Amino acid sequence: MTDPTSATPEGRSVIHDLGYRPYTGARLGEGSIARALAVTGFRNAFGLGRSGRSKVLPFVLLALNLFPAVIVGGVMVLIGLDELPISYAQYASTTQVILGIFVASQAPVLFSRDLRHGTISLYLARPLRASTYALARWAALLAATLVFLLLPIVLLYAVALLGELDVTEQTREAGVAVALAVLLALVLTGIAGLISSWSTRRGFAVVATIAVLLIGNGIVTAVQGISSEEGRSDVGEVAGLFSPYSLYRGLATAWADVDALTPPTSAGMEALYALVLVGLSAACLGGLVWRYRRVASA
Amino acid sequence: MNATILRLSAQALAGRRRGIVLMLIPGIVVLLAIVVSALTDDGQGYEAVANLGFTLALPIVALLAAAAVLGPEVDDGSIVYLLAKPVSRHSIAISKYAAAWGATIGLGALPLLVSGLVLEPSDPGRAFGWFAAGAVAGTAYSALFLALAALTRHAVVVGLLFALLWEGVLGNVLAGIRWVAIGAWGREVGAEISPLVGGAGTGLGYALIAAMVVTVGSVYFAGDRLRSFTLRGDE
Repeated sequence: MTDPTSATPEGRSVIHDLGYRPYTGARLGEGSIARALAVTGFRNAFGLGRSGRSKVLPFVLLALNLFPAVIVGGVMVLIGLDELPISYAQYASTTQVILGIFVASQAPVLFSRDLRHGTISLYLARPLRASTYALARWAALLAATLVFLLLPIVLLYAVALLGELDVTEQTREAGVAVALAVLLALVLTGIAGLISSWSTRRGFAVVATIAVLLIGNGIVTAVQGISSEEGRSDVGEVAGLFSPYSLYRGLATAWADVDALTPPTSAGMEALYALVLVGLSAACLGGLVWRYRRVASA
Repeated sequence: MNATILRLSAQALAGRRRGIVLMLIPGIVVLLAIVVSALTDDGQGYEAVANLGFTLALPIVALLAAAAVLGPEVDDGSIVYLLAKPVSRHSIAISKYAAAWGATIGLGALPLLVSGLVLEPSDPGRAFGWFAAGAVAGTAYSALFLALAALTRHAVVVGLLFALLWEGVLGNVLAGIRWVAIGAWGREVGAEISPLVGGAGTGLGYALIAAMVVTVGSVYFAGDRLRSFTLRGDE
């Protein structure tokens, strides 16, 4: 064995073929990357695949969210009621604080961290466009929010069926609640995602999202309360258009068995409520894609 | 108390987007009061606006302020440079608390007074009652949230759960929560000035002592946490 250091000064340097090979397998395209990113994102939203400490928060919130449904189930079983004490669509309104905190606290996990630590450039070095990255992250948060919203509905539905309530009626009500939950999840995901992609400070993004969701709802509720006292429920109807939770409440009152102040009364207003929900979600998604495009080109 | 740390914390509060959002929340409350008073009779809608400002805006402002004076420095690790200075950790905590407290009173409690005066100029006592309620609750809130910020990275979420879920949602259902809810203590003090605020029924003495214990204990605890501070990476 010759001394390796002796090779260089005398100009006898050699390149050894150690048998390294390039990757020759199939290279997956953008679609597969996006799918993998969405699945990882969904798992990360619940802390799966991350440290034990980051699992605590989402699962505590999920447990808090399911807690009332479990109690309702227990009451149903023990007392044998002939209808659910809380309707499927009402549930999300009752737990809106927990729901808001979940979306607000998990959105920065998906949207802020890559921007703050600059790891976004590593993702974009792959054949992955910035807009696809944004869409994959958005889909991950949407799926997590849907799980959060739909689990209690499924639980209540199972209890209702096991309690031998009328199957057709329960299925119809649960179906309406699922449709409403999808609308609500779309808009919550859009707002939380947009805010946390703009503010990369985690705590700040959480508070800003909560402020938009809950203070917005608080203002609308105050206006609706005053307008119904004053006998001008048309004002409250229009005010309901200005916050995600009040939009949900309005539609839930119109389509399902929920009581709210100044619900939309005409078919046109209902359509407008649904239109604003969908339009707001689309606008937020558009803003998200635009934001990541700008980051990529910067 | 350290004037330099106080000044730096106040700058962190007022700086950039955080400052805008901090100003925006009380601005919205006052704006709502102006709009409501313009469109309705005297005193109409008072309860709704005061409730919004007291149960929602005040804790969120306090949380934002407390998290802003401590959170970013802990997040990016620059707090070690502050902790390496020969300044007592307790005086760091007290200085940071003073900045957060000032912001909470100015942007959380003062809007209650302003919107109260706008909505019902004929009864300033009621507005001052709400202001006193906001001042007492804001003092305790900002101390508690500062302690949380020194304790855990999830301070904001824990604080929101406390203020909105524990005091808000559960407090409406379980009356006994008034004994361990900062908002209820504030109302109790406010009700002493104007009964229209609606006290929670814990007794003035209990409310004041409890708010004081939480404030002093939390600030002391925050200083104590800074004394034995360990930096952790992002999760």
